[in-house]
Amino acid sequence: MTRDLFIRIRNFAILALVQALIFSQIHLFGYATAHIYLIFLLKLPRFTSRNELLLWGFLFGLVIDIFGNTPGINACAATALAFARNYFLDAFTQKGNADDFVPSVHTIGWSGYTTYALFNLLLFYFVLYLLELFTIQYPVTLLISVAGSTILTMLFTMVLECFTRKK
Amino acid sequence: MQTLLNFIIKHNHWFLFLLLEGAGVMLVVQFNSYQNATIFTSANRAVGNIFSIISDVNGYFALKSENERLLQHNRELLEQVGVLNEKLAQTGDSATIAALGQGTDGRGFIYNTASVVNNSVNSVNNFITLDKGTADGVLPEMGLFCDKGVVGIIYTASAHYSIAIPLLNSKSSISCRIKGSESFSTLQWDGDDIRHSNLVDLPRYSKLSVGDTVVTSGFSSIFPKDIPIGTIEAIEDSDDGMFYCAKVLLSTDFTTLDKVYIVGSKGYEEQKELEQSTTGK
Repeated sequence: MTRDLFIRIRNFAILALVQALIFSQIHLFGYATAHIYLIFLLKLPRFTSRNELLLWGFLFGLVIDIFGNTPGINACAATALAFARNYFLDAFTQKGNADDFVPSVHTIGWSGYTTYALFNLLLFYFVLYLLELFTIQYPVTLLISVAGSTILTMLFTMVLECFTRKK
Repeated sequence: MQTLLNFIIKHNHWFLFLLLEGAGVMLVVQFNSYQNATIFTSANRAVGNIFSIISDVNGYFALKSENERLLQHNRELLEQVGVLNEKLAQTGDSATIAALGQGTDGRGFIYNTASVVNNSVNSVNNFITLDKGTADGVLPEMGLFCDKGVVGIIYTASAHYSIAIPLLNSKSSISCRIKGSESFSTLQWDGDDIRHSNLVDLPRYSKLSVGDTVVTSGFSSIFPKDIPIGTIEAIEDSDDGMFYCAKVLLSTDFTTLDKVYIVGSKGYEEQKELEQSTTGK
């Protein structure tokens, strides 16, 4: 238990630094930015309590916000992802499976994991760009940004999946 | 009552969700108002330090070009000093020189230098983090420029770091003037193109043409007069046809920003106090 928590905090710190110092600085074509820190939220075990999920999401979003001078934006979007995550996970898990597992291609299959990640990311980016473009209101920019960033982050999520070992 | 309690206990994550989202939205909204707590931005000590280390490392890769730019700027300043010295020598009158020295009436400016430790250009509301704070005399609403031209205005400052709103921020609005024609206007960014910004609400009687230089007006006492901002690239009518709008090519390259100057007006507090007491705010 303590070891799990330690590993979780270590992953949190590494992902936060990599996100803030590398990925947040890269913007493909001015629209797409990868938010790889979401992998942390996607990969929390299935039966993590909803409250715990929400707190992790909010905390992680807030840390990224502090680095990027966007107070509240990532926090809101990541909280929304954390809230919806378990609903998506249940929808893409095979019926009758009552085990606790870490969502990955090995546990719910390629198609299951891909759709699970896709829905979560779409929700996250929709909230994120809605808040960021709040005052500007360019629907086309919003859609391009959501689509671009979702595709880019999906790419990194899938690449990471190729390197994870089966437990 | 029991059912209500059961409902709340059963769905407690809903309430936590709403609470956290509420906190998040409050942060978003609060940051739009002036003078927020610096703890939620990269001006806070820990994050500022991390960015400083990274920018120190990155700084080495740009040392050569940065040196060349500084040398160039130095040379221009030397030339100016030479011209001014010559003019002084021509007047040769010690009384005039003494009068020139006193002519500023406390409206002089104090300058400071700073390094950019973090800089974004991709968002509609970009920010720049600087490695100087209130301990170095940097205060909100001071101006920021580099050797090429205006950069932005200081937004908030902690003890050792500060955050500036660059021209590339939809909330930035800078009072400016078209050089040689005394037409005044405001520069605003539409969040689209990091090389260009827009002059809005130019009166119909203003004389301007493509290629004119846009400089600071010196009205707001944030910037001294005549710091370059950019050149006019296109002129259009405003939507209602009452004004001109102009597209301005910015002289500052925000993607390679490193060393910047911070400028504060000595008489700023006094002017603001006077303006506030007159408008009764």
